[in-house]
Amino acid sequence: MGELLAQAWTVARKDLVLEFRTRTAIVSAVVFTALVLTVFNFGRDPTAVPTIDLAPTILWVTFTFAAMLALNRAFQLELENQALEGLLVSPLSRTSLYWGKLIANLVFVAVVEGVGLPLFVLFFDVPVGRVLLPLIGVIALATLGFVAVGTLFSALVIRTRFAELLLVVILLPFLLPPLIGAVQVTARLLGGRPLSESVGYLKLLAAYDIVFVSLATFLFRFTVDE
Amino acid sequence: MSLVQKGRWITLVALVCLAAVYVRALAFTPVERLQGPAQKIFYLHVPAALWTEAAMVLVGLAGIFYLFLKDPRLDRFAEASAEVGTVFATIVLTTGPIWGKPIWGTWWTWDARLTSTLFLFFLYVGYLLVRGAVRDPGLRARYAAVLGICGLCLVPFIHLSVFLFRTLHPQPIILKPSAPSLPNSMLATWLFSLVAFTLLYVGFVTQRYALSLARAAQQDRSSDAGHA
Amino acid sequence: MPDVPQNAGYMMAAYIVTAVILIGYAVSLYRRTSKP
Repeated sequence: MGELLAQAWTVARKDLVLEFRTRTAIVSAVVFTALVLTVFNFGRDPTAVPTIDLAPTILWVTFTFAAMLALNRAFQLELENQALEGLLVSPLSRTSLYWGKLIANLVFVAVVEGVGLPLFVLFFDVPVGRVLLPLIGVIALATLGFVAVGTLFSALVIRTRFAELLLVVILLPFLLPPLIGAVQVTARLLGGRPLSESVGYLKLLAAYDIVFVSLATFLFRFTVDE
Repeated sequence: MSLVQKGRWITLVALVCLAAVYVRALAFTPVERLQGPAQKIFYLHVPAALWTEAAMVLVGLAGIFYLFLKDPRLDRFAEASAEVGTVFATIVLTTGPIWGKPIWGTWWTWDARLTSTLFLFFLYVGYLLVRGAVRDPGLRARYAAVLGICGLCLVPFIHLSVFLFRTLHPQPIILKPSAPSLPNSMLATWLFSLVAFTLLYVGFVTQRYALSLARAAQQDRSSDAGHA
Repeated sequence: MPDVPQNAGYMMAAYIVTAVILIGYAVSLYRRTSKP
């Protein structure tokens, strides 16, 4: 287990170093997030619909875009550097390869969300103070779900035509259950509802994460091996 | 009798069965009092929905077996089941709104069945697109299997999300476009329809499988010629 | 007792659409499996 994590971290670190050395991807993702939030502001009539009603949707659509950007850039990185071939001939296990990529993608998305959330709070004057910790928890749970499946599918589309487009199309149905859970819990948290009301959705998110992280870990080898 | 011929015969029988179901549903099954004649859409909509989901489950199962057994027949079956599933999904997604409009007053309703079928439709489209995007048969089969298995595992989550959403957001409706408690004659019609759709699935999949087989054989011949 | 709603038009539309889709697909399969 320790070996696995160490190997995974090696893989993750390689990706992250490349990432943050150039900084283009992360900056673009953050700017994009800010743009999306800005557009949302101009798309609504604050006198007609209270912000709090739209807030969960705005937050999650923005985060979904951020996750998609992260996954697409990860895929680009592979293509440009042909790093995948190199990794495959190394003695790294497929599991640590997957986890490494998963960790790298999660870190990337986490950074974007880390900037996005405060911006969201700022732009829409959303009262997150008291519910910050649970909110971060939900964000973490849902993000893990998106990125787990997304990382698997990134590997899958890499050798196909129209890969980036295909990635979005095949990923969409898999984003819906965690998204539904996330939006519902966020709405309840922001509305000051007790956590007990969100239990069903939290279980959904947790179950989804457990199932799909395991499944993706297992299936990853079939997307990369001959 | 070749596989294609068997498929065609089964499909023909299925279509005749379907015609009989049409006659029975339209002329010999009582009209439901609250919903009126539009309720009869139920006899087509629900069996189609059941098979849309069953076809996806079979695609997933075929994928699991393919990854372990590497038998191309499983992959061909999965391909066939996916295409037929998409056709059935189209039926559900067209008859659904047509039923919804007179009953609920709106073309689209986020009811459990329509929402689930919409998800399934997206899954099918993605699956077929991936298949179309990969040239090499072995790679294609493997990728399709991975996606199919993920799709299979998604199905319970689709139902769970829809269930949670609906129980926590009860719709204030009196009429539901679903089964009222069915008297026997209605139940019989529904069962006949289910049989018809089952036969349609089998007939269609058989033919589509045969098509896959023929294409694979053709590819083998032409690639051999290339090496000759 | 309220009247039974008069919505047979919708019923016919749905039945026709379904038949078109199924027969259409059957024909498509027939033609695709007929090419040598």
